[in-house]
Amino acid sequence: MIEPLIKIAILIGGLMTGAAYFVLLERRMAAWVQDRVGPNRVGFPLSQFVSGLKDLRLFGLGQPAADGVKFILKEEYTPAHVDKRLFVLAPISILVAALVTFAVIPFGDVLPGGVFGDEPIEMVVSPGAGVGMLVVFALSSIAVYGVILGGWASNNKYSFLGGLRSSAQLIAYELPLGLGILGVILATGSLDIGEIIGEQARTGWWFALTQPLGFFVFCVASFAEAARLPFDLPECEQELIGGYHTEYSGIKLLLFLVAEFLHMIAASFLIVMLFLGGWHFWFLTGSGSEATWFQAIMRLVVLNAKIFLVILFFMLVRWSWPRFRFDQLMAFAWKVMMPLGLINFVVVAILDQLKIVSGNDSSGMNLVCALAAWGICIGAWVAISIAGPLVADNRPRRELNSFEIDSQM
Amino acid sequence: MNAIEVWLEEHALLVFCCGLAIGAIGIVLRLAQAVYCRKLGTVVGLIGLVSIGLRLPELEAALPQAIFGLMAAIAVIASAATITSRSPVYAAIWFAISLLGTAGLFLLQGAHFLGVATIVVYAGAIVVTFLFVLMLAQPEGNASYDRISWAGFATPMALIASALLVGVIANSLPSFGTPSSSSSLEQLEDRVLHEAHVAKLGSELFARHLISVEVVGTILLVALVGAIAIVIQGKPRRRSAEEGAAS
Repeated sequence: MIEPLIKIAILIGGLMTGAAYFVLLERRMAAWVQDRVGPNRVGFPLSQFVSGLKDLRLFGLGQPAADGVKFILKEEYTPAHVDKRLFVLAPISILVAALVTFAVIPFGDVLPGGVFGDEPIEMVVSPGAGVGMLVVFALSSIAVYGVILGGWASNNKYSFLGGLRSSAQLIAYELPLGLGILGVILATGSLDIGEIIGEQARTGWWFALTQPLGFFVFCVASFAEAARLPFDLPECEQELIGGYHTEYSGIKLLLFLVAEFLHMIAASFLIVMLFLGGWHFWFLTGSGSEATWFQAIMRLVVLNAKIFLVILFFMLVRWSWPRFRFDQLMAFAWKVMMPLGLINFVVVAILDQLKIVSGNDSSGMNLVCALAAWGICIGAWVAISIAGPLVADNRPRRELNSFEIDSQM
Repeated sequence: MNAIEVWLEEHALLVFCCGLAIGAIGIVLRLAQAVYCRKLGTVVGLIGLVSIGLRLPELEAALPQAIFGLMAAIAVIASAATITSRSPVYAAIWFAISLLGTAGLFLLQGAHFLGVATIVVYAGAIVVTFLFVLMLAQPEGNASYDRISWAGFATPMALIASALLVGVIANSLPSFGTPSSSSSLEQLEDRVLHEAHVAKLGSELFARHLISVEVVGTILLVALVGAIAIVIQGKPRRRSAEEGAAS
């Protein structure tokens, strides 16, 4: 009984602190990309306590604390025209859904027994959840409610547009997300995230190497599900002034922002665990289900380093690509991501069956299969980009009549 | 106190049916226009719910019993609220909550896949689509004509159907009617409660019921094509006709 509670405490504490400092990291990254300095001043205000001392700057590490205090102490303004119950329910539901996801996501592998009791400790809040992958999927679909309800309850045109865009986007990109996961599940034969990682560690072939197409599809879809740029249409500041959370302020806005960061963190966890081998790294972490103390600690380090790198990638992408237009977003989901996901699924099924039929599970066979998958990945990418190029022309166009619109459909 | 318990024990089915009837009256009251009627309906409905809950079969451990009670209450109350909410958006949200309660019951029974699939398919996809449409259709929320479905022929039919359904379910509960046969329990252990029950479910679906799955998939595809056909409206418009109309 006490063990899950400790795990939950570690997880929530780590996630909340992590989310706060990732905001700082994101701002520093933005400043770095845009050749600015960024928030580097807030540290410890010594001069407030002892006169004559200089304030400590600490590279701006005090910024998250200052932001948090600001959000909590700010006036929490509820506009008069909103649907009050749903207005309060929306941020709560989105944060709850984002947090509960982490109950089935492992944040390490196992700690060997002997120090904290005799049994080895699995680093996941609910170990042995046989349908862990589906739980993540279900909760990410629950998170849509927060966005839709927030947009609708605000009773504001911009918020409403944000909510509508978001629900359309999330529903559309759930399909490629599922197709990307499907290949991994097919190759592993289990819905348990721990077993998916174990399979990659056992063979030494990360699924990003053997299913490149699935990896790309899943990455793009998880960017869209986390509503990060270039998919941040639900809340784009320039058009919708924040979208579904335009009317929110104070702690409710904080809940929305934290939930967004948690979505991004969860997406990076999943990318790492499904496709980048989880805690596995060659020659460093071992590959069995048992681990020595050195291996256990290396697994923790490797996993968290990978997740950190993926999050850095998320942040770098944010300042590298412009936002999609809405028709481009939908065309990309249905005309590019869906076919690529289906191709990946079929290829994985065929290669897997080939391995079973030939009874050859050697590393040479694996290499051939991976090369074939990469070849098909490049071929499919080229074919899609020739067959249905995206309308990338953002210049204002002369008036289209409906004939031309029909021909584009 | 003891006499009451004995009386309850003897008249279990009666209490259960009375609870159902009281709950039904509560729902009807909730549907009325006047505010005091609706408040009275809430109270009566809760009384009905409690009197049903008095004689539910008990589980062995206290914690699962508590979770079961909570989940069941959430599911029942949320379903009642679904049909009595005045605003369609609230109805959709209550529906989603009742689905969460149902999924919790499935999880408690060990049917993990079914529970999670309920959330993914219903709460995650279908109700979200409902919400999407409802919000576009009625931004201000209230619609009196939604109550038409309760008028005339539909009400008695719905009553009869739900009474039959509840009767069948109550009859299969061990504390009221026939005890459930042990063979079906063994089958349950073998299928749903099996460790790899997702794999079992898959092989069952795609081996024994392959044709049904294919037919269902085809029907859904046909519906999808139909929806697209309605959007495009048959034939593409001609450039010349349009330009002629514009000038």
